[in-house]
Amino acid sequence: MNATVIIIFLVIVAMTLVITYYAAKKTNSASDFYTAGGGLTGWQNGMAIAGDYLSAASFLGIAGSIALFGFDGFLFSIGYLVAYLVVLFVVAEPLRNLGKYTLADMINARFNAKKVRGAAALSSITIVIFYMIAQLVGAGALIQLLFGIDYLWAVLLVGIMMTIYVLFGGMTATSWVQIIKAVLLMLGTVVLSFLVLKNFNFNIMEMFTQMKTATPHGEAYLKPGVKYEIPLDTISLMLALVLGTAGLPHILMRFFTVRDAKTARSSVMWATWIVGIFYVMTIFLGFGAAAFVGADLITSTNPAGNMAAPLLAQALGGDILMSFISAVAFATILAVVAGLVLSGASAFAHDIYGQIIKKGEATERQQMLAARYASVGVAAFSILLAIFAQSLNVAFLVSLAFCIAASANLPVIVYTIFWKKFNTAGAVSAILTGLISALVLVSVSPSVLSPEAGAAILTGTPLFPLTNPAIVSIPLGFIGGFVGTLVSREIDEKKFAEVKVRANTGGFKQL
Amino acid sequence: MAKTITGEALQGPLTKEGNEVKPASAGGAAEVPDFEKIERSEGFKHLMRKKKMFLIPATALFLGLYLAFNIVISYTNWLDAPIAGDIPWVWVFAFGLFAMTWILVTVYMKRAAQFDKMAEETLKEFGYEEKGDIR
Repeated sequence: MNATVIIIFLVIVAMTLVITYYAAKKTNSASDFYTAGGGLTGWQNGMAIAGDYLSAASFLGIAGSIALFGFDGFLFSIGYLVAYLVVLFVVAEPLRNLGKYTLADMINARFNAKKVRGAAALSSITIVIFYMIAQLVGAGALIQLLFGIDYLWAVLLVGIMMTIYVLFGGMTATSWVQIIKAVLLMLGTVVLSFLVLKNFNFNIMEMFTQMKTATPHGEAYLKPGVKYEIPLDTISLMLALVLGTAGLPHILMRFFTVRDAKTARSSVMWATWIVGIFYVMTIFLGFGAAAFVGADLITSTNPAGNMAAPLLAQALGGDILMSFISAVAFATILAVVAGLVLSGASAFAHDIYGQIIKKGEATERQQMLAARYASVGVAAFSILLAIFAQSLNVAFLVSLAFCIAASANLPVIVYTIFWKKFNTAGAVSAILTGLISALVLVSVSPSVLSPEAGAAILTGTPLFPLTNPAIVSIPLGFIGGFVGTLVSREIDEKKFAEVKVRANTGGFKQL
Repeated sequence: MAKTITGEALQGPLTKEGNEVKPASAGGAAEVPDFEKIERSEGFKHLMRKKKMFLIPATALFLGLYLAFNIVISYTNWLDAPIAGDIPWVWVFAFGLFAMTWILVTVYMKRAAQFDKMAEETLKEFGYEEKGDIR
């Protein structure tokens, strides 16, 4: 670890702590804690969404994947971006118009049943925990490499920082950490892309020509099929990515930080541009790393390819750029895990404690206390899991989180907004069918069971052929909701009229 | 801060008389508007029609193109041929999906501004007006 790294690193830590200090002064109610008082502007929330969404898996993972696998590495980027159309067209505005702090609030605007809220909270918590383990394990390994500290200390460092932001500064601190991270990440990526393009003489044609021979894959590098060889598996994964974003609790939660549906909409617009431009630049990062660092050095530093971007920075910009990119990676991790802690805490403290146990009658003080206890609880639990999961291959948990979000959360959201006959039983069965089928299928899939010892969490023969079960579990979630609704036959058309009017006009919010 | 938005607060007696649906904030006791009446109103039905006319084809378009792209690249090598120099078609189509996303977002932002106006008119017709920041 050199002096530049330490200085840049300390500057980022200090900056986020100053933000947390000021945010803490403004965090006086549950609404402040969960939604930053609902006062963010469109561009602020758009940047924060990008900051929340572009995880280390996006930045380091995709850059590494493109470096090692060419076009196949870029596939994730396409799914991650197109997903925002689902968010914009289906979810963002009704969510803002109907909900308050959580996804369960929105669904309960129609049903007001504890079991629906409980089921929604359960699926949110499951997604958050899986996503968080993947992030923390990745972060631990990465910080170990970047700053040369032990895995245990790396996880603890990230864990303590995220807890401080959320515990004291709530959504305000989390949002600004995410906004700053988005700016830093874009800045770092633009600089790296510029240097890569400069080395290709700013000629895209020449870049492709060189890439054709620059890697061990030869011509195949520029075409699909290097990494994903089973067609149905690829399609299943891509379905999870495009439909999952609209069900991720930490992304959904961001829409409660703006005052109305119009601002929610414009924040998606901002996010789409930032996220999209970022993903286009991942091509340059990946190609650059493959050409100027080389696959051998990338895989010998980290077999998953996660060090491609920092190594590229080292190769093109020396120690200073490498330090800056490492610091950006650190900020990236912090911003995402802070958002995750907050959304996990909201499911525990607001849904389970505030609405189910206290029946919505908790005092402001009780709500705040519960939110803070839940934040510490979620953080501590994830840190523990991450420490135990150190040697496990948990990279698949990110796409599993997307799969659960698409299977358990998206069907119930779609039915709640659009289907007149949908009812309480349908809502519970949609969530549980999607959640359970995704979990069961993945636990017997090649992601968890591999005949080769050590390749996956367990050794054995997979019973389900696909690594990502989305292509089966998403339809099951929809069927679950449909069958559950028909079986119970209860129907409340008045309530649907209300939900429809409120979701589509944004009126009658104070009810 | 508004009370928790739950169904409970809304299950009071419905206002029956005329088109006058008073919002909760008007005069003391919370009166619940007749949502079914609003739902059946011409203005609201018009809004829903216009929304559907945009959202259904647009969603079908982007999901269709996205799935078609993934199916084609997974099962065939149609897009492996170069379009220019050494750039295979698959990159052009991939970037096409990016462009499609940005275009649809931009078009939707324009459309949604019209939807907002229609929604506002409907709300006005039923005596509801945004009373500043309701949080």
